[in-house]
Parts: sequence; structure tokens; C-alpha cells
Amino acid sequence: MIIGKKNHPPYWLDWLLERFCAPHLWEEVQGDLHERYQLRLKQKGINKAYWFYFTDVVSYLRPAFYKRKHATQLLYTDMFQHNLLLAYRTFKRFKGSFFINLIGLSLGIACTLLIYLWISNELHIDTFHEKDHRLFQIMENRKTARGIETGASGLFAEILVRDMPQVEYGVTVTPPNFFPKFTLRTENQNVKAVGKYVGKDFLSVFSYDLVQGQQDKVLIQPDAIVLSESTALRLFNTTNNLIGKTIEWQVVNLKKPCVITGIIKDVPSGSSEQFDFLLPFEAFQNIMGMGKEITWNTNSPFHNYVVVKENTNLDQFQHTLDHLLKTRNSTAKDISLFLKLYSKNYLYGTYENGVQAGGRIVYVQLFSLIALFILLIAGINFMNLATARASRRIKEIGIKKAIGASRFILILQYLSESLLMAFCSLLLALLMVVLLLPQFNQLTGKQIHLDWDLQMILSFAGITFFTGLIAGSYPAFYLSGFKPTTILKGIVPTSWSEIWTRTGLVVFQFTLSVVFIVSVIVIYKQIEFVQHNNLGYDKDHIIYFETEGKIANQSEVFLTRLKNIPGVLNASSLSGYIINSYQSSGGNTTELVWNGENIRYNSLGINYDLIETLGITIKEGRSFSNAFPSDSAKIIVNETFVKRLGLINPVGQIVDGREILGVTKDFHFQSPHEKIPPTIFRLERQYNSTIVANIQAGKEKAVLEQLAIFYKNYNPGFVFDYRFLNQDYQTLYVAEQRVAILSRYFAGLAIIISCLGLFGLATFTAERRRKEIGIRKVLGSSEWGIIYLLSREFTRIVLLSITLALPVSYVIASDWLKGFAYRISLHPWYFITAGLVALGTAWVTVGIQAVKAAHINPSQCLKDE
Amino acid sequence: MKGTYLGEFEEVVLLAVAIRSGDAYGAAVTSEIEQQMGRSVNLGAVHSALHRLEEKGLVNSQMGGATAERGGRRKRLYSVTIAGKRALEEIHQLRNQMWESIPKTAWS
Repeated sequence: MIIGKKNHPPYWLDWLLERFCAPHLWEEVQGDLHERYQLRLKQKGINKAYWFYFTDVVSYLRPAFYKRKHATQLLYTDMFQHNLLLAYRTFKRFKGSFFINLIGLSLGIACTLLIYLWISNELHIDTFHEKDHRLFQIMENRKTARGIETGASGLFAEILVRDMPQVEYGVTVTPPNFFPKFTLRTENQNVKAVGKYVGKDFLSVFSYDLVQGQQDKVLIQPDAIVLSESTALRLFNTTNNLIGKTIEWQVVNLKKPCVITGIIKDVPSGSSEQFDFLLPFEAFQNIMGMGKEITWNTNSPFHNYVVVKENTNLDQFQHTLDHLLKTRNSTAKDISLFLKLYSKNYLYGTYENGVQAGGRIVYVQLFSLIALFILLIAGINFMNLATARASRRIKEIGIKKAIGASRFILILQYLSESLLMAFCSLLLALLMVVLLLPQFNQLTGKQIHLDWDLQMILSFAGITFFTGLIAGSYPAFYLSGFKPTTILKGIVPTSWSEIWTRTGLVVFQFTLSVVFIVSVIVIYKQIEFVQHNNLGYDKDHIIYFETEGKIANQSEVFLTRLKNIPGVLNASSLSGYIINSYQSSGGNTTELVWNGENIRYNSLGINYDLIETLGITIKEGRSFSNAFPSDSAKIIVNETFVKRLGLINPVGQIVDGREILGVTKDFHFQSPHEKIPPTIFRLERQYNSTIVANIQAGKEKAVLEQLAIFYKNYNPGFVFDYRFLNQDYQTLYVAEQRVAILSRYFAGLAIIISCLGLFGLATFTAERRRKEIGIRKVLGSSEWGIIYLLSREFTRIVLLSITLALPVSYVIASDWLKGFAYRISLHPWYFITAGLVALGTAWVTVGIQAVKAAHINPSQCLKDE
Repeated sequence: MKGTYLGEFEEVVLLAVAIRSGDAYGAAVTSEIEQQMGRSVNLGAVHSALHRLEEKGLVNSQMGGATAERGGRRKRLYSVTIAGKRALEEIHQLRNQMWESIPKTAWS
């Protein structure tokens, strides 16, 4: 029978079956189907045949007929398995380079992961507030003779709520360090705590979790107080049923009872500002006798924050704000206001002449760069060892290519090898990170945890993938590029470009290492310089504490008795703190007009003997003295003040209505980044908040014990909470010291990883030149000759790196030092030392291999073949 | 090899292969079953039963001749193996044994 088109079963069903059915079953199935169709066609007619054909075909649509034969289906996974197997075998065969790679890469990855954790923590500071993207601080640019000065504006935020419809909330807050620590007191407990006065909507603006109390009511009453949980625990040993209880706060000689209206969770570590309790701003206004009326005056010392409504056009808003200021306040013609996102303040807090410049973000960028470089150094080890060992795998590549492997497949193979390596290293790196995290937290002053959230896992995997990719890319392209015809003949292609690349990579590694070493030396020297620099006063044996209770009322009596304690050399008091306080770091600046120029200066109120207690040298004139009652109207100034005003023979001159009594040498109360400001001391004995005492060197412990007893008897109910000035001075350098310590570790790591790579290369070279060495020895070469031969090449490479690194590090170091007002000069020895360290470690590394190779017994290495 | 348990349909298919011995391919086996049982059977079901039987080692197969009705495609010819024969015998014996164990009173 001939089958015409008419008798043919429907084509589309055939087509469907052909697609679906596994090829090895298809012929049989299709044949049977067609036979049945023809049978039905004869017996039952076309329609029935069609229908049955359809049901038959459908009956074949089941997995058993779909499943392809193994060989065609799993090709890709097979290849992958094969690649992994080959990688595993390579690792096993070259154990030395495997471990060098493993250690190098895992050190590099661990370091990068830690830096990643730190950076991601830094970037999230202050971003936890719910209205983060609408929460702004009011800032101002003030035009002065020395350029534009940028800072927090004192404009009361409440006025914006009143006058600008776009503003949802506005709060005025006392700045950090505005007050010394408060004392909070219950009937039987006294604790020291950090507090601030805040506007009534504070908790609507900032998202500090209120656990007890009503968010919009807790700060309404003037006698309210909101405690953090831990403060409540310290006071009452519980956080329950505290609402409505009365406690007393005291700062300096001010004290007031207040009622607990709310409890907040402790301020999270992700907040740049830390405090223990909040008081309503109204209470502060009442105490200070400030008028309740708010104006467009921008001169208050407070910080002001606003939340703008959703979809506010910020440019337009700032424009209106500035316009309003100019029309409502005629004295503000030199001031322009702008809003700054609160969460940006932490990283982008520094301004230069009105333009945002640097800030903490610089360290974030710096460390990202370091992480990248360390990864690169580790990746280069892998590259060099892989390409150096190419000759060992050349046959494998030749055969694969001859059989028909495409270049792409070979590239894939080498990349999977490097990726496997990277992920092995990740495991080791994770172990290191888990072990090192506590120390790292201590070092950086952070509380970083591993959360294992998706973002972190993805970033970790991404970092590792990136490492594997950069480490594997060059070998993959290099190795896969060989021509099978030449390499199967046994000719190892050693092109110049390859050797150059390898040398170049080692040079790159060592250049970076040398730069790191120079940086470590420079940072260390600079910090040593500022710490042992003559500050103009004695910081080592000075303690200070706040005046409280009875001391605040009878400070003169207290001081006299204090001075009588044996071991206390001198004692005095002042208003505010000495180092980095709100007063001494520019917060308390006052202006005077001198020869038509506005001059800002710091003004410190001090008691008799303060200059003597601190050991500040009087250069001209004399210090305040009890013997002359008229001294209270006179001032003592520092050298900078004299220079700034251009005074000749300053003693006795009248400045701003006050006679200059004496001139002191300059002294550093500020961070090392800032220049010494013009400063005056005035005699002020009434409102002094800090007692300062100079203690005899070597007897600190005994004297402090005595002081504690004396304090307890004299001032019962208060805590003797003293600090050494020295410690405060250290905190000025926290950022620098952290960078110093971290950079030391990073430099160490960089040089270790670089040397690992060098070690691998040296091992390899020594191995490859075994026969040459054997022959040389047979012909009479000395061991030293061979050591020289082997280390010559590497010495040259390292010397080249040093030459390259020195100018680079010079530029970087002098740029970093520019940030300090008082800095070291770059001594040539710093660079020479760095070079010698790099050269020395390289020599030791290569030398071990060279000596081993030189000790070879020629009869052993020449016997085979 | 998978377990040699024989399902009911598999048993029928195996019997049909035995009946058509020498010319037992998918379509023929299906027609045989349809004739014997008097109902229509899915080709796909028969085929997958044949494959299962082959996996269990109860039948084996080779490719046979092509015909015009098949569009020039070859058939796969199945034949019962010794194991298959034994399996059929066991079932047969089991059924007989059970038939004989039925007490006469059961039918009254």
C-alpha cells in the first residue's frame, strides 16, 4: 500500500511527538503509531482514526518517553566535573604552590572581608532613622575675612515649623559635649550619665525606640525625663513601673527634680551620637531664663533638625529659607542657610571654604583601595605560579587542543580552577574572620557582627568570585593560547612578553608593599611626633573632675583643702573642659573688632593657679595673682593672639576694654589637625565646672587613693569620677591611631603575601634549574656562586620596585601630612628603611630556596636520564 | 535490575508478547490485547509497560523489518526471556493453587 498525503496522520501531532520523544525511542514509537493509524483508517474511517491517533500521541507525553539518554543530556555537568577533578589533581600534584595560593588568597580575602564589614558598618551609621531621607540638619555658610566657614546653624527649628509649610517637624537640641556628665540621683543611687536637652518632637524626628510612654507626650512637660533602658537599670535595677517616678538631675551646681515619662531602648551602636537620657528643651530655656519667643536669629549654640514633608523640592525649599532669613533678620547678610541630610553628616562632615571636602569618607575610600590592592597582590601570586608552571601542563593543553577543545573551553577550565581555589580560600578566610572579629572590633571601636543576611552572603560570594576571576583570567588566556603543533613537539614557548608580564606583576606587588611600609613608618612617626610634642603644658600628671554638690558651692574651700593633700602639687578650676571640649575647640568663640577686622578667639574662664597647675609657660608679664584684686578685669593671652592682632609690647595694652596682664607660650588644646586658635584667659571664680589637679609623678596611685577618701568625706553622695588629661589627649588621636595600627597590619599582610609569591617563584626556578646547578657544581662552581646566581634576578626585580615605590610613597605621605597643622618633615631614612625592609625580606625568602638549591648533590640531580 | 514484581497490566502485556511470539512489536501487541480483552488500549501505556518489562529483564528486543504502513520505519520486536517465562509460570501456578484452595462451600 502506498501512503498518500491524504492517508498520512496529522503532521502537527508528528511534529509534537518528534520534539517530545527521546531520539532513541522515536523510530519505534512513530512506526507503531502510524501502523495503528492505518489500521484504524481502514476499520473505522478518518475521523475516528484521527481522534485515536491524537489520544495515542497524548499517551506518549510522559516522562519515560521524554528522558534523553545520559550521554547527550549531562555534557555540561560532565565537563564541569572533569574540570574540578583536574583542578583537584593539579592541587595535589603541586602541593607547594597550592598552599602558597591558599594561604595568600585566604589572607587577602579575610582582610577584604573585614574591610568590607567595616565599610558597610560606616556607611550605615545614622541611617536607621525611619525618616532618614527627610531628616535634615540646618547648616550655615558664614562669609568671613578668612573665607567661608561652615557649621551648624543656631536658627531655631521651631520657627521653620511655624513659617514654612513644607516642614513637618523641627527640633532644637543641645550639641554633644555641651555639658559635662550629669549626675542622676534617686534616694539611694547616684549615677553619671550623658544627657541632652531636646525639642518636644525629638522622638518623632529621630527613631530611637520608645518602649514605655507615648511618643508625642513624653517631652511635653518641662520636668520630664526620658531614660535609656540601661540608665534605668543602673538607677533602679529594673525597667518596670518607672513611669511617674521622680528623680533628680544635677550638672555643675544646677539641680532639678524631674519625672520619668518614658523609657527608650539604648541608643544603637549605629548612631553617631550616644546619650543616656533626654530632657525637654523647655526646661533648659527655663533654667537659662531664655525668652520663649523665637526669632530668626542664627547665633544660638544649638543644633537644629527638621523633617520636611514628602516630595518637598529641596532646592526651592533652600531658596525660600534663605530668602526668609534675609528678610526677617537684617544682620544675617553674610550668612546663607542650607539643609544637610542628617545621615550624611557622619561621613561627609568636613567643609573647606563652604564646599564639602573629605571627612570620614576619606578613610572609607582609603580602606577600599587597600582591600583592592591586597586582593590584587594575592591574585598576582596565583597568576605567577600558574603561568610559571605552564610548562608542566603544556602536554595536557596540547592534547586537549588536538582532540578539539576550543580555546573557550580551556579558558573555562582554568577559570574554574582559580574559582575553586578562591572558594577554598573563602572557607579559610571565613574562619579567620570569625576568629579575628573580636580583636578587629576592639581595634576599630565598633560592634560588628556577622549577620549572615543575604546582602552579606552575596557580597562575600561576590568578593570571592571577583578574586577568582582576576587571579584566573591571565593564566586562563595565557595557557589557552598555546599552539598545539608546537607544544606537542615539546617546545615550550617562553615568550618575552610572558616573562615581562611575570616580572611586571612581581614589581607591582613589591611596589605596593614598599608603599605600605613607607606609610606605616610615616604614620607612626607623625603620631609619635604629636604625642611627644611639647604641648605647652604638662599633660601626664594632671587629673580633672567635675565640680558637684558641695564642691560647686564652696569651690575655694575645696581647692584649699585639696592643695593641702600631700602629693597634690597644685590645683585650680576652670569653666568647661580643657581638651576638645565644646569650649576649647571653637564652640565658645567670641569675636572682637581690631583695626576693622573681625577676629574670633577662644575665651576660657579660669581660677587662680590654673596656668601654674597645667604648667603653661608665661612668656611676658605675669599670671593672675591673689595679691592684685584688679586682676579680675584683666586678661592673659597666648602668643597666637598677640600675633593675630599684631601687637608689639602686648603687656599693658588694652584690648576690647581689658588690659593684657601676661602672654603665655602657645599650647595645644585641640586636635592635631587644627591650628592653635587665638585664646584669652579671664579670671572667673564663680561658675567653674572643672577641678584640675597636678599630682606628683610616681605617686599617682597613693595620691589618688587618698583623694578618693577625701572626696567621699567632703562630698558624700557623689562619685569621684576623675580622668587623666593624658587619656583625653589620646582620644584626640583615636582616628589616627586606628589608621596607624590597621596600616601596620595591612603592610605586614602585603609583604607576607608578596613574599609567599616570591617564595613560590624562587622554588620553581630552583627546581627548573636543578640540572644546570648540578652541572655548574660539577664544573667547580662554589655554593655562594649558585646562591648569587639564583638571587640575582629577584634582587633586580625588588630593586626596581623600590625605585618605583619611593616617589609614589613620597607623594602619598606628603599628601597625608598636609592634613595636620603640625607635622613631621619627611626624612630620607623613612624611605631607605622601607626599601631595606622589602629587600631584606625578599632576600631571606629567595635565599632559603637558593641555599637549598646550592646544597644539592650533583650526582643526585644528574643521575636520571 | 528493578524488582521483578509484575503488575496486572504488565502481566497482560507479557502474555500478549508470548502469544504473538516472533512478531511482537508495539502495535501488534496492542491489537492483540484489544482483541483478547475487547476494549481499546493506549499505545503509550503498552509501550511503557514493554519498556518496564525490558528493564526487569522479562523481555528483550531487537529492531526488525519496516513496512509501508509504518512510513518506512522499523519495528522493535520483543520476545519473552526465560525469566519472563518463569514469571508467567509462577503466576499461573499461584492462581491455580489459589483456585484449588477455594472451598466448595464458597460458591453455594
